[in-house]
Amino acid sequence: MSNEEKCNSLQPEDTPSMGNGSKLENPKLPEAGPADTNPAAPIATESPQALEAIEQQLDASGSPSPSVEPPPRTGEVLPPIAAEPVLVKKHQSFFEEQPLPVIEVAPRVLRYRTRRDFLFFGAGAVATLAGAGFLLPQETLSRLGMRRDVSSPTKEWLLNRALRIDDDVSEALYSRNRMVPTYTKSQITPLKNNYNGATPDPGYISGWNLTLDGLASGLGISLDIRNLTTRFSIHEQITRLVCVEGWSAIAWWAGLRFDDLLRAYPPTSQAGWARVESSVNLDASGNPDPYFMSLDLATARHPQTLLATHFNGQPLTVDHGAPLRLLVPVKLGLKSVKAITRITYSAEEPKDYWAERGYSRYDGI
Amino acid sequence: MYHSTSPAKEPNSTSTLLEEPGVLVAKKQHFLVRASHWLNVPILLGIILSGISIYWASPIYRHKPDPITGNFDVAADIGIWICVHVPGLHHYSSPPDWIYNHISLGPGMLASALRLHWLCAYLFMLNGVVYLAGLVMGAGWRSLLPRRTDLFDALKMFRYYVGVPFAKFMHRKWPHPRFDTKYNALQRTAYFSIPVAGFLSVATGWAIHKPMQLHWLAALFGGFDKARVWHFWLMWIFIFFVVPHVILVFADGWDTLRGMIVGWSTRVKRSQAIANEQ
Repeated sequence: MSNEEKCNSLQPEDTPSMGNGSKLENPKLPEAGPADTNPAAPIATESPQALEAIEQQLDASGSPSPSVEPPPRTGEVLPPIAAEPVLVKKHQSFFEEQPLPVIEVAPRVLRYRTRRDFLFFGAGAVATLAGAGFLLPQETLSRLGMRRDVSSPTKEWLLNRALRIDDDVSEALYSRNRMVPTYTKSQITPLKNNYNGATPDPGYISGWNLTLDGLASGLGISLDIRNLTTRFSIHEQITRLVCVEGWSAIAWWAGLRFDDLLRAYPPTSQAGWARVESSVNLDASGNPDPYFMSLDLATARHPQTLLATHFNGQPLTVDHGAPLRLLVPVKLGLKSVKAITRITYSAEEPKDYWAERGYSRYDGI
Repeated sequence: MYHSTSPAKEPNSTSTLLEEPGVLVAKKQHFLVRASHWLNVPILLGIILSGISIYWASPIYRHKPDPITGNFDVAADIGIWICVHVPGLHHYSSPPDWIYNHISLGPGMLASALRLHWLCAYLFMLNGVVYLAGLVMGAGWRSLLPRRTDLFDALKMFRYYVGVPFAKFMHRKWPHPRFDTKYNALQRTAYFSIPVAGFLSVATGWAIHKPMQLHWLAALFGGFDKARVWHFWLMWIFIFFVVPHVILVFADGWDTLRGMIVGWSTRVKRSQAIANEQ
């Protein structure tokens, strides 16, 4: 700070940050005669530090404390305005605007602080610009003409961290006892076939089986659709399916509860996750592209998590994942795997098709 | 005390260092208010750019698919219109993507856009808390509260701003409406509305982000689909605010712009200084 001071005292009008405007705007203090000495504070402001200390003191109290402030002074210096106080409204209510705190500062203190704040905010702006450029997706940067590859592990880590925080928030919001809203049949809206790739050939349906792995019994179980629909009670619900893309549809579903399947074929005691897979999925060009998705068992046990067999009162069509699809209304639609062929329980969080493509893993809504 | 301590008129002072008279400054913005104000620039930019990329995945405003192109997105129509009518854009490679290529991260990048949107959204909420803390600590919140006379006064201010260029052009006198508060009524309305819009953006954001766990919040805005429309138009409030905000700051002068960086103003009325002393 002493360097700053020297600099200022050598070049009194140097700082561009003060600008010419401020010189013009600065209301100069009224000229005071020698008789105006105030013995209460004779040399308190010889150094900028002292001024600052005084200012802080003033800040702390909000207004100058009456014991320190000698009130008669205004009367001496500014006689015409001193008559004004009757016009100055006292602070009346808690919500009423108060006059801005006005302080007197030595010009070089002001210059020093101006420079300090401009440097601080300027450095912040530069850092932000660099940070923002760093965080933008590579595709956007390339489109802006940046050839260099700026993808880095740190960037991925930071952005994924934001996703994980959001996933943790979703998980904290989830409650097994909180039901999603249900609707009436008149509120049903169309639901499009949103298969990511090509819709599979319905040929797979006749030989379809659901395989369960990771069971407490240690055995793999294979169930056909008749086993599932006759052994378990069927529940109906009209709920909203929300897609990560932003659209949603209200649809009428029927099927067995995932919870009932978990009770009938309990997973190993350590299991906390299910990997739900469809081996019949195709990519856009029609080649096999198995779809797999992670589901925490807490969500699987939600009473509205269904293994759906019916859509709008009819058995599922191939568009909607015949003969059995998952329906998880508390998660984004991408978790509701169509045409499930295998469920594997595990203690570790399994891989997830969309998480591998940069989306979140938990997807609770 | 600080009035009497100006060394320039201190005859007992032995100091020769301080010869310039003191400057009266009014403290206007708390440090936290200034910091959060500037942080809003990159955060809102990130939120809006990623938000429009998210919008691309499922546009709210759509029509029946075009029989030839299959396009149903009104934003794509606008892009096509721009490329047809704006000189120099006739050869733009992908007219339907023009909007998304210019005011978003780009089309077809939902995953990256969502990641950035969540990051910026959490930062935006934190920044909002910092801003509120600054308003409370600097006691600036009182200057933002709406008053009964604001509607009329805001119209007067609006008339003034609209008339300024005309008056300048005609060399006519066009006096600034008088007010004795920190902000004029139009400023106060704007500076009060923007935090409210920020709060509503966050609320509608949560409503469409967690429409099941927070279904009451979505219901407050008329359901999931309507909350998306709210969220979309709240974004435009920020955009419509920023343009005149920046123009007026530059028109008003250096003191105002500097005020948001250093926190004080040298536009001090003598009466203010007196009022402060009482």
